[in-house]
Amino acid sequence: MNEIAAFERILWGLTVFLDGGLLVLLLYRKNHRVFPLFFVYILFNFLQCFILFESYRIWGFYSPVSKRIGWETQGVVIAVRALAVAQICQRVLANFRGVWALAKRLLFVTAAVLLLYSWAIARGSWQFAVLNADRGLELSIASVIVILFLFTRYYGIAVEPAVRALAIGLFLLSCFFVLNDTVLEVWMYHYSTVWNLLGTLAFISSMLLWSWALRERQPETMFAPEMLSDGIYQAVTPEINDRLRALNDHLGQFWRAERRRS
Amino acid sequence: MSWLFFSFFGLIGLLLILFLYSARNPRPSAPAPAHAGVADESGRRHVTYLPQILQAFAETDYDFLSKNAPRKVQQRVRQERRHVALVYLAGLREDFENLLRMARAIALLSPELAAVHEFERLRLTAAFLWRYQMIRWKLLAGVAPAPQLAGLSDLVSGLSVRIEGALKELGERAAVAAELASSVNRRRLDVV
Repeated sequence: MNEIAAFERILWGLTVFLDGGLLVLLLYRKNHRVFPLFFVYILFNFLQCFILFESYRIWGFYSPVSKRIGWETQGVVIAVRALAVAQICQRVLANFRGVWALAKRLLFVTAAVLLLYSWAIARGSWQFAVLNADRGLELSIASVIVILFLFTRYYGIAVEPAVRALAIGLFLLSCFFVLNDTVLEVWMYHYSTVWNLLGTLAFISSMLLWSWALRERQPETMFAPEMLSDGIYQAVTPEINDRLRALNDHLGQFWRAERRRS
Repeated sequence: MSWLFFSFFGLIGLLLILFLYSARNPRPSAPAPAHAGVADESGRRHVTYLPQILQAFAETDYDFLSKNAPRKVQQRVRQERRHVALVYLAGLREDFENLLRMARAIALLSPELAAVHEFERLRLTAAFLWRYQMIRWKLLAGVAPAPQLAGLSDLVSGLSVRIEGALKELGERAAVAAELASSVNRRRLDVV
């Protein structure tokens, strides 16, 4: 334990305190019913602090056993974070059945492609396997959140302020970890202390944002609009698209005619 | 350090830009004008001025002016006509956006979407906006396009009965939603 710098220990203590505070806030405001997977994620984070503390105390900060425990618990925490993000996507889009069905497919494909991309281009050594998996998952989480917000903007779907703040925290945390992991891959040994420190700071910032977002109780159910009758979409959308295409074609002719003239 | 190192930084930069664009609060939509209705949604408002626009760009008019009016007047007429064309182009864009808004509203309330139609509309929107800007810049630069405007009139005017039907149903849904939302708000106020 002595290998850990005093400042880092203070930050660690602050993380545990904020983690516990957020858990209490989630329970007190009954928001754990609204965001159960986010609650599980915060709970796992809280437990991870104690597991790591014990492993460092028993085997030391730089021991291979502590490192293995650190990465394995981190893997579980990130997986639960990915599930929490999936639940946020569901909360925002699930009431719009058609959009949700389309978004689900797109989000899944994006996550899979990015996971494969980061795995394929990463260094081949087994030492970096966990790091690459971590980065791939973080990149997928960040991309999924971006696509979610692009969907809401395109279709004009309102996002609750609390959900928006949760998503912003999750997005920034994932972006930060992708960059942090990338730098760590290049300067493995020289960067590891800074890597831990920056990671803790990023997590503390996100937790402050989440605590602010969840300071009030959130509604358990969202307003579900009544869907249109079956077949209206199939009947009307192609016609609207035809008109949009025709408008486009004419604008194209307009443009070409101008080019010829000039 | 390799290009892979920078590729992750590039990806994150791109994600941040997209996130900033998509996560900011949507602009409050301008209140619909009092006369707005199904007639506006069907896109008849701007194209009804097409004959006047075409007249404004007619070659014969320019010929007549060049023979009978002083140079200063000719320039002023050209400027004013260009301004009219720009306003008309903006109107066409409004018509395009009305169609888009309707398509999105229908998609949002539909139990099933076809990815092909949705991506096609996205592509068309991007293409339209690109061309619209190009033409607008050309007009601003002083080039006056004329006869190509003609075909546009047939496109946005008079939507079919099917679309009118969908609009009617959308209107009914919106009325129910507004009533429900206001009753929920009333209940909240009561609780407080």
